[in-house]
Amino acid sequence: MPAPDPNSKPRLAAGCRWAEANGSERMLMFPEGALRLQGTGREILERCDGQRSVQQIVDEMQAQYKTGESGRIEQEVSKFLESLQQKRIVDF
Amino acid sequence: MLPNPLALITEITHRCPLHCVYCSNPLEMQKAAAELSTEEWVRVFREAGKLGVLHLHLTGGEPLARTDLTELISGARTAGLYVNLITSGIGLSEARLAALVEAGLEHIQLSFQDSREAEANEIAGTRGHAYKLQLSRLIRQFKIAFTINVVVHRQNLDHLADIITMAEELGPDRLEIANVQYYGWALRNRDLLLPTRQQVEQSQQTVAAAEERLRGRMRIDFTAPDYYARYPKACMGGWGRRLLLLDPAGQVLPCHAAGVLPGMRFDNVREHPLDWIWRESAAFQRFRGEDWMPEPCRSCERRTEDFGGCRCQAFLLTGDAAATDPVCTLAPTHGVVEQALNQISAGAVPSSIPPVPANWIYRPNPGAMSE
Repeated sequence: MPAPDPNSKPRLAAGCRWAEANGSERMLMFPEGALRLQGTGREILERCDGQRSVQQIVDEMQAQYKTGESGRIEQEVSKFLESLQQKRIVDF
Repeated sequence: MLPNPLALITEITHRCPLHCVYCSNPLEMQKAAAELSTEEWVRVFREAGKLGVLHLHLTGGEPLARTDLTELISGARTAGLYVNLITSGIGLSEARLAALVEAGLEHIQLSFQDSREAEANEIAGTRGHAYKLQLSRLIRQFKIAFTINVVVHRQNLDHLADIITMAEELGPDRLEIANVQYYGWALRNRDLLLPTRQQVEQSQQTVAAAEERLRGRMRIDFTAPDYYARYPKACMGGWGRRLLLLDPAGQVLPCHAAGVLPGMRFDNVREHPLDWIWRESAAFQRFRGEDWMPEPCRSCERRTEDFGGCRCQAFLLTGDAAATDPVCTLAPTHGVVEQALNQISAGAVPSSIPPVPANWIYRPNPGAMSE
């Protein structure tokens, strides 16, 4: 499985959406379940809007977490998106 | 503290144009006249949303047999539920599919019986295979999640590689390959359905290779046959722990098959709020937790993983609903499962469908049944 192309624009796959359940908590709903995401996972996934490229998401995460090494953030975003694609939650 | 149920499975009708020999519906099906009305279903969906349910699975029978399916879907979405439709696809036109998607349908699970048309139609007791192929191509044009479901057993496990190739060409997001579970109709047909050990081992290799090849394109979910497992399945994630199932007439059960258990009374949403049924009803409390467990479950480390297995299977195979699931190799009654498997490996039962019509016991359509 190749790492996602930095120019591809990830988006939520068909049948996946955000939902506010019980008032406050934001969850990602998909066919077999739901994810309660916090922290960077949620920040990455919220940027998967079909507009931003993988590179832009990496840049934005780097700007937000200035202390992180650039290579590591890139690798983490890439790994996270790949795992979500395998679950058919994200397409790119 | 008692957790909220995560999913609601609704058998919105038992009417169905298919007659599958392993149907999960009870042997005693509900007739059309007993079905909940549109308003009653929508009220139940609202109650489910308030109870914390996330996913709604609309199943049957064939849910398309309900002419108000569009209203049911939009009612469920308004209640905040994620809506999945489990269907044979028979009777689904392009216009109707568009209306269902417009109403808020998010995921469709389409069943196939085999990759080979004649065999598929024999299992379903209906000529539906060709239409399912057409329909799959249509579904792909809509922006909803698409899963193909195939139930596998001795008669089609040897074509598993072809079944996966068929699915790959139809392009769903997911392929669910589930071995038959032996309740109701399937138990009646067990001699024709139970796979051989060799088939089970081969199928695991076939699936593992396909998963590797298709990673990122099509997800494969595979359910192994529990008769060949060492330990039982965590049936429904534990009795009254995660799921609620409604039958067409509004009876609430912890699973598809619980209606067979003797001495159980299942409460109805026409008489009680769903919340009360989940928390308080005798049926949901009967096997919840660990107090009911016999040995070896009671002191077993796995009791919090598999919850003692399946109560319905325990009853059907041993006559005691509170026994350890006999598929467990630690169960004192495990011999009944070994005996069934030995019969298969000894060839005491036919190894394939004979050329003359097999002695299938087909599930009838309750709409067509006489009193």
